[in-house]
Amino acid sequence: KPQSEPYFTDDMKRELDSVVTRYPRKQAATLPCLHAMQEKVGWLPPQAMEEIADYLDLEASEVMDTASFYEEFWLKPKGKYVIWLCQSISCEIMGEPSLTQKVSEFLGIQPGETTPDGKFTLMKVECLGYCGDAPCGLINEDIQQKINTDNLLDVIKNLD
Amino acid sequence: MALEKPVLTKRIPTEPWGRHEDRHYVDYNEYVNTGGYQALDKSLQMDRSAVIDEIKAAEIRGRGGAGFPAGMKWSFLPPADGGRRYLAINADESEPATFKDRLLIDYDPHQVVEGIAICMYACQLDTAYFYMRGEYHDQRATLERAFKEAYDNGIFGPNSRLGQINGRNPELFLHRGAGAYVCGEETGLLNSLEGKRGWPRIKPPFPAVAGAFARPTIVNNVETLACVPHVMENGPEWFKSLGKGRPEGTPPHVPASFGTKLIGVSGPVVRPDVYEEHLGVKMSYAIETLAGGMLPGMEFKAAIPGGISMGVLTKDEYDAPLDFDIGKKYGILGLGTACITVIPEGYSMISCARNLARFYARESCGQCTPCREGTEWLYKLLTRIEAGEGTTKDLDLLLEVASSMGIMPGTTICGLSDGANWAVRTIVNKFFDEFDAAVSKNRLVSLSVANN
Ligand SMILES: NC(=O)C1=CN([C@@H]2O[C@H](COP(=O)(O)OP(=O)(O)OC[C@H]3O[C@@H](n4cnc5c(N)ncnc54)[C@H](O)[C@@H]3O)[C@@H](O)[C@H]2O)C=CC1
Ligand SMILES: Cc1cc2nc3c(=O)[nH]c(=O)nc-3n(C[C@H](O)[C@H](O)[C@H](O)COP(=O)(O)O)c2cc1C
Ligand code: SF4
Ligand code: FES
Repeated sequence: KPQSEPYFTDDMKRELDSVVTRYPRKQAATLPCLHAMQEKVGWLPPQAMEEIADYLDLEASEVMDTASFYEEFWLKPKGKYVIWLCQSISCEIMGEPSLTQKVSEFLGIQPGETTPDGKFTLMKVECLGYCGDAPCGLINEDIQQKINTDNLLDVIKNLD
Repeated sequence: MALEKPVLTKRIPTEPWGRHEDRHYVDYNEYVNTGGYQALDKSLQMDRSAVIDEIKAAEIRGRGGAGFPAGMKWSFLPPADGGRRYLAINADESEPATFKDRLLIDYDPHQVVEGIAICMYACQLDTAYFYMRGEYHDQRATLERAFKEAYDNGIFGPNSRLGQINGRNPELFLHRGAGAYVCGEETGLLNSLEGKRGWPRIKPPFPAVAGAFARPTIVNNVETLACVPHVMENGPEWFKSLGKGRPEGTPPHVPASFGTKLIGVSGPVVRPDVYEEHLGVKMSYAIETLAGGMLPGMEFKAAIPGGISMGVLTKDEYDAPLDFDIGKKYGILGLGTACITVIPEGYSMISCARNLARFYARESCGQCTPCREGTEWLYKLLTRIEAGEGTTKDLDLLLEVASSMGIMPGTTICGLSDGANWAVRTIVNKFFDEFDAAVSKNRLVSLSVANN
């Protein structure tokens, strides 16, 4: 649904102006703009990407082309908390499959889905670079190391 | 002989010199008080070309996995023409089982920053972009803090002690990725930096000639740059006293394995962590002495010694030395990132291969058909074999598909495909009995084989 108020506020522009000048071409600021927008809105509505395109003198299709390539950019709304569980080799060996199964059962959703109340999204991801602390995951931006299933479920229960 | 004194982990408490629990962020003052930035000041007294000569003489080989000599890469730059020239620091670190660069970023980023500054001075690069994977959230704040300290203390910006480079103030910026393995490939990284999809480019031209924004660009790994200040401080001969030299009698153009290496160990071991040792240390030493051996009740079955793209080593190859010649000697792709995943007895190698294949299928950027389709096929076939539904023909097809994809067979743009190829093939070849047993049930043997 288009909204009349722009997503791209003047405050954001002021902050991003200094980022754009770091690069010899405006297009290079696409990822920083998408990150900033997603931080503010929670995901990347088409209108927001059009506004970014305007700001960077690009076609909207160029911004969307870039955004759709990256796993961390959300082109549809996500839950308030995204639980990312690493499924790469060290984490699988250290018990990821049963962990994912238990979290999935607890939330009543499959990986890739969001709970009906919009609170949780469950995602399986590849290596997070914390292999020494396997199995691991992220809850939004917070790293969870050496996950013990019961403890993780406690953490999830206590999120509001 | 074990490493006497830590080099890259000098300020990062690491077994056997220090305890993991004592690690903390080393700020600018602590870094300087422990001898930091002296190598930069020393370099700034020297001619640019003399600095490059020192790096060349030390024979530092790229720690991002490919082992290309850094000094040689630096000297491939065309002469400066007054236009912009870039440094891109590769901190994408997305190779499964790899977590070594994060150690430097978390605790001693100034060591890397100093290497960056020396490289910018020596190679006449005015702008550096620190490309870090998006999932490293805590590291973003750490780096922003370290970079600010560096600006405040005259490393970069208008008061830089590097002076102007190409008529510009030297700058260092953080650029965050957003979750795509292929952006670690240097040309994928450059496209991502330019605000596009992280699609690898056809080489040549190499980035040193035409890289970011079509200008000369050096791409180096975080750990490679962290070695630079140590070489400038202690000299190339000192660096070459560490690690492993050329085999006796080989001519000097054969690259050796000098220096120390960060080695990650993960899986069911007592102390999974990142350690530092001479290049060329035995894998068994890393697992048993550094990481404390297998967890009680666990037995070693195999290990993936260099990030998943390199392939697998068996129990018989337990003592393999972790140096740049490991590929040739043990039938794997190479040293890679020297981050070891230990696989315990009881864990199926078919599951292992399936896990790795899924990774490549998911991360292939899709530009090259053999990679896009091939990785999917590998994953499908392995899933089927794992479920007990695979036939001998599936196994043949698996090996055929695997060996047809990659830069080496000449069918793809980047090395992601070679990684998939070697990961799968070495596992199947070295653990053939496991695969054979899974596909050789009577009802599954394909007609073409049964009729022979
Ligand atoms: N650290 C990590 O997370 C990961 C590392 N890798 C590693 O990446 C490696 C493959 O990397 P590639 O960049 O594809 O290897 P490559 O051999 O094509 O290049 C290595 C480096 O040398 C430079 N180079 C090579 N020839 C040159 C020339 N003639 N002139 C100027 N520069 C030249 C390249 O620009 C590049 O910087 C694998 O061995 C793997 O270990 C792979 C995945 C992830
Ligand atoms: C698919 C793929 C992913 C890669 N990922 C990384 C990475 O995350 N970090 C890295 O330093 N090099 C990575 N590389 C290697 C880089 O292309 C390049 O060789 C390296 O950054 C050069 O730096 P170095 O010479 O200092 O090692 C990757 C290569 C490929 C083919
Ligand atoms: S080999 Fe694979 S990842 Fe690399 S460019 Fe081709 S399709 Fe993309
Ligand atoms: S394998 Fe899970 S964090 Fe690396």
